[in-house]
Amino acid sequence: MTETPTNSFEWVWFIAKKYSDLFIRGTWLTLVVAVTGTLAGFILGYIVGIVQDTRINKEDNIIKRGIVRLFKIIATVYVELFRGTPMIVQAMIVFYGLRQSGLEIDSISAGILVTLLNTGAYMAETVRAGIKSIDIGQREGALALGMSPIAAMFHIILPQAFKNIVPEMANTFLTNLKMTSVLNVIGVQELFLQAKTAGGTYYKYLESYLVIALIYLVLCFVFSRIFALIEKKMAGQKDYVLAVEYMENTQ
Amino acid sequence: MSEEIIRVEELGKSFGEHQVLRKIDFSVNKGNVICILGSSGSGKSTLLRCINQLETQSCGRIFFHNKELGRTQKEINEYRSKVGMVFQSFNLFNNMTVLKNCMEGTRRVLHLSKQEAHERAIAHLKSVGMAPFINAYPAQLSGGQKQRVAIARGLCMNPEVLLFDEPTSALDPEMVGDVLNVMKELAQKSLTMLIVTHEMDFARDVSNRVLFMDKGYIAEDAPPEKFFTAPEHPRAKEFLSRFIAG
Repeated sequence: MTETPTNSFEWVWFIAKKYSDLFIRGTWLTLVVAVTGTLAGFILGYIVGIVQDTRINKEDNIIKRGIVRLFKIIATVYVELFRGTPMIVQAMIVFYGLRQSGLEIDSISAGILVTLLNTGAYMAETVRAGIKSIDIGQREGALALGMSPIAAMFHIILPQAFKNIVPEMANTFLTNLKMTSVLNVIGVQELFLQAKTAGGTYYKYLESYLVIALIYLVLCFVFSRIFALIEKKMAGQKDYVLAVEYMENTQ
Repeated sequence: MSEEIIRVEELGKSFGEHQVLRKIDFSVNKGNVICILGSSGSGKSTLLRCINQLETQSCGRIFFHNKELGRTQKEINEYRSKVGMVFQSFNLFNNMTVLKNCMEGTRRVLHLSKQEAHERAIAHLKSVGMAPFINAYPAQLSGGQKQRVAIARGLCMNPEVLLFDEPTSALDPEMVGDVLNVMKELAQKSLTMLIVTHEMDFARDVSNRVLFMDKGYIAEDAPPEKFFTAPEHPRAKEFLSRFIAG
């Protein structure tokens, strides 16, 4: 770059090129934290959601009932705790809390951990709503065949609930993609922190943030398209093929 | 007297204050085609759901082949695999094709091989005239078709008794006949059936025993020829007079 940029537009381009390394690394880290944190969070959310939906069976013995109750209490406390506090605060508490208690956790791992815990709490509610959205008859149909309640949950109810909550899972993922920006407070060098660094040298913060705004926008757009494709794929086909080999004249 | 399959003793069920079933005593013998009649709210469906343990009775006992039904989940699952149920709202698995619906129970509960389960599913789907639709999903079928698939799904388990909870109540009048015909064929093959229904003609022509329920009691237990011509219970008389008038 021989000439000094003269306007904001040129500055954006200048900074994007000059610090492309930083932005690429930041994008990569943002993706790593968002994807791993969200996926793990989805799994956690499913587990917690199922625990919350589990009914305490009066016929079970006292130990089993006690265990189920304990798990339900833990699940409720966890969900309320993480839905009721800002992610930025959670990040600080998890990171510094773990370090103070002697666990040498690096900021990226802490960032993933916070993302997954946060996602899990929201997903738990989504999963629970998804399970509730499935007609009780689906469960009864399965039980009437002699399937266990657990088998009915995993083979009949959850696959249908999953399909219903894919749009909400997409939402959660896009939110996470952007929420990783708060992890700069514990030193995760994701996009936001990189923009801060890049903007600092020339004192061109606005331009630097415009660069990452564009990157976030593109990322979100790409992922929302991917999710739309998944949704479409899961909706299945409108038509079905008649099994002509079983057709009879009376049909 | 043919072999007894299910016996219900002193069965009662209440939802809170509301007592739905009182002192139900009766048994189901092999080859019985029993229609349970009665006005809405008389406890017919609840009785059926208690027999299948989708509702837990408040008191009383259920015996299966003279052995009292246990309370553990395992015992209940095993019992349910032998006592099938067909629902008013079909309850086919929406995420599976017709074929998969009919293979799910035999694969997961009876642990049949894929080939065996497939053959059994096709055979029963053929018998209800739904074999050409194996690739369809429930949402792509009409009510009558769904119910026929649901019956085939129940038959795949080779149940000793098949329970029907108002199987034609959610159907268009035109489709009722198809489903009733399938059930009539099953009766001719001496499948033991317990049918909650409002189809009086069917009850009269196909069943070999009628239970009339009123206010949670079994008010009358008689062969259809007797029940439809000379009912004893005053409520049964009233009920039938409306049917004949209607």
